[in-house]
Amino acid sequence: MLKTVYWISTLCLTLIAGTAHASADLPSIQRGAHIAAEVCNGCHSLKYIKYKDLLSIGLTRDEVNTLRGEKSLGDPLKAQMAANDALALFNVVPPDLSLMAEAREGGPHYIVELLTGFAPGADGQTTNRVFPGIKMPDIFGIAQADPAARKEIEQKAIDVAAFLEWAADPQAEARKRMGRGVLIYVAILTALFYLLKKKIWRRLK
Amino acid sequence: MSKKIVAWIDQRFPLSAFVKHELTDYPTPRNLSYWWGFGFLAGFVLVIQLVTGVFLAMHYKADSNLAFDSIQHIMREVNYGWLIRYLHSTGASAFFIVIYTHMARTLYYGSYRRPRELLWWTGQLLLLLMMATAFMGYLLPWGQMSYWGATVITNLFSATPGFGEDIVVWLRGGFAVDDPTLTRFFSMHYLFPFIISAAVLIHLVALHTVRSSNPSGLNLADKDNIPFHPYYTIKDLFGLGIFLLGYFAIVFFKPDLFIDPANNVPANPMQTPADIVPEWYFLPFYAILRSVPDLAGGVVAMLVSVLIFAAMPYLDRSRITGGARYRPIYRTLFYVFVIDIFVLGYVGAHPPASLMKLTGQIATSIYFLTFLLLPFVSRWEEGRLLQSGKLPADVVDMARKEIEASHA
Repeated sequence: MLKTVYWISTLCLTLIAGTAHASADLPSIQRGAHIAAEVCNGCHSLKYIKYKDLLSIGLTRDEVNTLRGEKSLGDPLKAQMAANDALALFNVVPPDLSLMAEAREGGPHYIVELLTGFAPGADGQTTNRVFPGIKMPDIFGIAQADPAARKEIEQKAIDVAAFLEWAADPQAEARKRMGRGVLIYVAILTALFYLLKKKIWRRLK
Repeated sequence: MSKKIVAWIDQRFPLSAFVKHELTDYPTPRNLSYWWGFGFLAGFVLVIQLVTGVFLAMHYKADSNLAFDSIQHIMREVNYGWLIRYLHSTGASAFFIVIYTHMARTLYYGSYRRPRELLWWTGQLLLLLMMATAFMGYLLPWGQMSYWGATVITNLFSATPGFGEDIVVWLRGGFAVDDPTLTRFFSMHYLFPFIISAAVLIHLVALHTVRSSNPSGLNLADKDNIPFHPYYTIKDLFGLGIFLLGYFAIVFFKPDLFIDPANNVPANPMQTPADIVPEWYFLPFYAILRSVPDLAGGVVAMLVSVLIFAAMPYLDRSRITGGARYRPIYRTLFYVFVIDIFVLGYVGAHPPASLMKLTGQIATSIYFLTFLLLPFVSRWEEGRLLQSGKLPADVVDMARKEIEASHA
C-alpha cells in the first residue's frame, strides 16, 4: 500500500518539478515583444494578438501606447505593410506569426535557427541554411556581423522566439499552474480510492 | 423519504430491480485483473468526449473561412476554452489508447471465444464507428494536416470499381475537399457519438448476457463470483485515478503531444505539405495501405486488416481456455503481432523510402500471416498441449468437454 502511494506521489512530484523551473523568462519575452511589434510586424501580422494582450506579459501602458500608435488597444497586430504590397515585393504574403512557434517542427528552436541561419552565399546573395530560398531578408544582418554583433543578434533571435512561444500559447503559464493543482488533487483522490479498495476487498477474505 | 421516492418510482419503473440486477447483484469473476478495467475507462472517455464536444460546438464555426480562427477564438477568448479543447483533442488519443488496450486484453485472454462472439463483434462495430468519428473530427480544425489527411483518405474511395470517382465527389460534396466537406463532416462528427452511445448499450447488454470472461478462461462456480458493486466499482475507480494522472499530465503539461505542427497552419489547397501523416492511431493501417503497390489492393488490405479481428472466434480453433495463458505458441504469436503493429506504426509515420518500404511490406506480411497461420497453429498446439499433461486438470476437462460437444 505504502509503495503504491509512494509511487503515485513520486510520479506527480517529478512531473511538477520537471515543469516548475521551465516557467517562461519574462524579460526575454518582453524584449521579444518589442522586436516583434517594431520589426517583424512591419511585414508579418500577429492577428491573434491584440495590443492589450501585451499588458499581460508585463509591458507598461506607455510602452504599449507607443507600439500601437494610432491603433486602439483592442486591435490585433495587423501587418503594417498591405498584403498586396508584400506580394508584389516578395512574391509571397509573409505568414502570420501568432502560431509560428507551434506550426513548425522544433517550435521556438526552429525560429532561433531560422533567424540566425543566414550566411553569405556563393553569388554574393544571402542564403539561409534552415530555409533555402526564403524570401525574408536577413533582417538582423547576421550574415555580415562580426562575432560581438553576432552574439547580440543571437540574443535577439532568442527573445523573438520566446515572445512567439508566448504568442502561440498565451495560456501556458495558467495551464501549468492549474495542472499542478489538478495532479495533486487526483493523486490524493487516487490514493484514497486505493485505500478504500483495500478496505472493501478485505471483506472477501 | 428517499425510500418513499424509490418505492414510488419502482411502482412505475423497475429502478431497484435494474440496479440490483446490473450492479449490486451482477455476478463478476473475483479474479479479474486491472486489464479488465479498460472497458469502464473507454466509457468514461466517451463521456469526456461527448461533454467537451458539446461545449466546443457552442463556439466552433463549421465554415472553411472561419473554422481555423474559431479554434483560436476558443483557445484565447472563451473562458477555459483551451481546457475544453485540450481535453477533447487529448481525449481522442486517450480513447484509442484505452480501446487498443481493451482489444489487446481480449486477444491475449481469448475473450472473443464462444459464447462471446456477439460481444466481440459489437466491439468491432464500435471500433469502426470510433475511427470514422475521429477521422471526421480531425478535419474540423481546418489545418493543413486536417485538409490533406481528409483529401488522401476520401480519395481512397476512388479505388471502388466502376463508380469510384462518383463516390469521392459524393463524400466530399464537390471535386475537392472544401466547405461542403467541412459542414458535412461536422454534422456527422456530432451525430456519430450518439450512434456510438447506442452501440455501447448493445455492447453492455451482450456483456451482461454472457458476463465477463476471466484470466483463467474457466466458467467459475458461483462462489468465485462477486457482485460488481462495490468490488469492481471501487477497483475501476482506482484504475480511473491512475488513468487520469496520465491524461491530465498530457492535457496540462504537454497538450501539443498529439497535435501535428502542420495543423497549426491554416488549410491551403494550393500547397501540399512535405509528408501527409495521419493521426498516430491510424498509422499501422496507413502503413499497410502503402505497403501494397496497387491503390485498390492497398485499400482492400487496409480494410481487411481492420475487419479481420471479427474472424478471431473462428480463426482460433483451439479449445483450450484462458487464451495465451496456457498456450505458449499462441502467446508468442500475440507478442509478435503486438511488436509488428508498433513496427507498422513507425513505418506509417515515415516517408516510404526504400528500406522503410521494405520494412513495411515485411511487417504487413507478418500481420496477415499471424491471422492466416492461427487456424492451423492453434489446433496443432491444442493437441500437443492436451497430450503434454502440463495443463491444470480443470482446463483439460473443459477442453475435452468442448471437443466432445463439437463431435456430437
